[in-house]
Amino acid sequence: MNISHHLSDDTLQEYTAGALDPSLEVVIACHLTYCTSCRNRADMLDVTVGALLDTEQPTAVRTTALELIQKAQSLGEEQAQAEPPVSDVPRPLGRLLPAPLESLAWKRLAPGIKQYNLSNRHRKYGAFKLLHLAPGVVLSQHTHKDKELTLVLRGSYQDEIGRFKAGDVADLGDDVVHQPVVDTQEPCIALIATQSPVQFSGVMGKLMQPFVGF
Amino acid sequence: MSHVIAEPDQKAQIQLLNKQLTDIGQKQCSDAFTAIYNHFAGRVKSFLIGKGINDDTAEELMQEVMIAVWRRACTYDQSKAAASTWVFTIARNRRIDHLRGTPRVEIELEDSLLQLESDDIPAEQQVDILQDATRVHSAMATLPEDQHKVLHLSFFKGQSHGDIATRLGLPIGTVKSRIRLAMRSIRNTLHEQEEQV
Repeated sequence: MNISHHLSDDTLQEYTAGALDPSLEVVIACHLTYCTSCRNRADMLDVTVGALLDTEQPTAVRTTALELIQKAQSLGEEQAQAEPPVSDVPRPLGRLLPAPLESLAWKRLAPGIKQYNLSNRHRKYGAFKLLHLAPGVVLSQHTHKDKELTLVLRGSYQDEIGRFKAGDVADLGDDVVHQPVVDTQEPCIALIATQSPVQFSGVMGKLMQPFVGF
Repeated sequence: MSHVIAEPDQKAQIQLLNKQLTDIGQKQCSDAFTAIYNHFAGRVKSFLIGKGINDDTAEELMQEVMIAVWRRACTYDQSKAAASTWVFTIARNRRIDHLRGTPRVEIELEDSLLQLESDDIPAEQQVDILQDATRVHSAMATLPEDQHKVLHLSFFKGQSHGDIATRLGLPIGTVKSRIRLAMRSIRNTLHEQEEQV
């Protein structure tokens, strides 16, 4: 897979640290499934924290190795993770979906725009959803306030930053103004997550909310 | 930089831990586990303390982590990860799971969509885990104190860049740039040395 748009150092670093919401982790893990280069960068971060661990000052512990082995032997088998349902997307997302992409119960938002919500929580806690955009759809111009990740799963779109194809991730920082356009005859399906809490900027921000995340 | 250990010694230490962890997996060797436990248990506990986790809870979680090390050591592959990396990932996931009730979302190695590195990478470009871990260890030891501090707060205390900025009374941009600088110098160490080979 030929990936042109990658995760930023900031994002990978916070992912390594465990400082991000699960919804952002899903987008990241899906991109890492597709992108060997970001996976290598994430691996290097894990090596870095391993090195920090090696030189950390130890805290006093209250048990011995042999006591723990005894304890381990009295425990049952560890449970293996269940197989995810059959899906046409990377497993971290596939585990959250009841059906393949095209068979989901999409909800119409506007002409040519459908969404599938992945979170029941109020949107002030951050968006987590799939967007389904028909060919030719142009989203209104908007900016991003909070940490926000968009992963293209099918089709492509183009904006001021470039062309985003399947597997590409848009890891937009603050103050990016853009206007995505679906630029082929294929619908564009994208996975979007924003970090909570979202800070709305007045009435306009609230009106923009349905499109925030793209 | 008094804590700099000569690279050959560092390499030997990493290699020893990797071997001990391998021995646990292959031979259920309790001596090897004792050595790994003595090295990591107190450090894992230090890693776990903070973010609302007190000493008692950290002790409990540390024990769970070290039990997982004992039980999962058979899946450890020293050609894929250094022991410290492997132990850290278990500790991180236990902490995240404890704090929010769901584990960290990660790639799945059995995923049919997982894109693999192409097989035709020449042998000299393939990742040498031991070499890389040694270089990263050396790079970490020579990081300026202010960069080391933000990395530590972020990785060990699980604080977001915003939290760190508030805690240190710095603009968030400064926190981000320190982290970027640190990551860049670690990466550069890897690349420079590759070019010298």
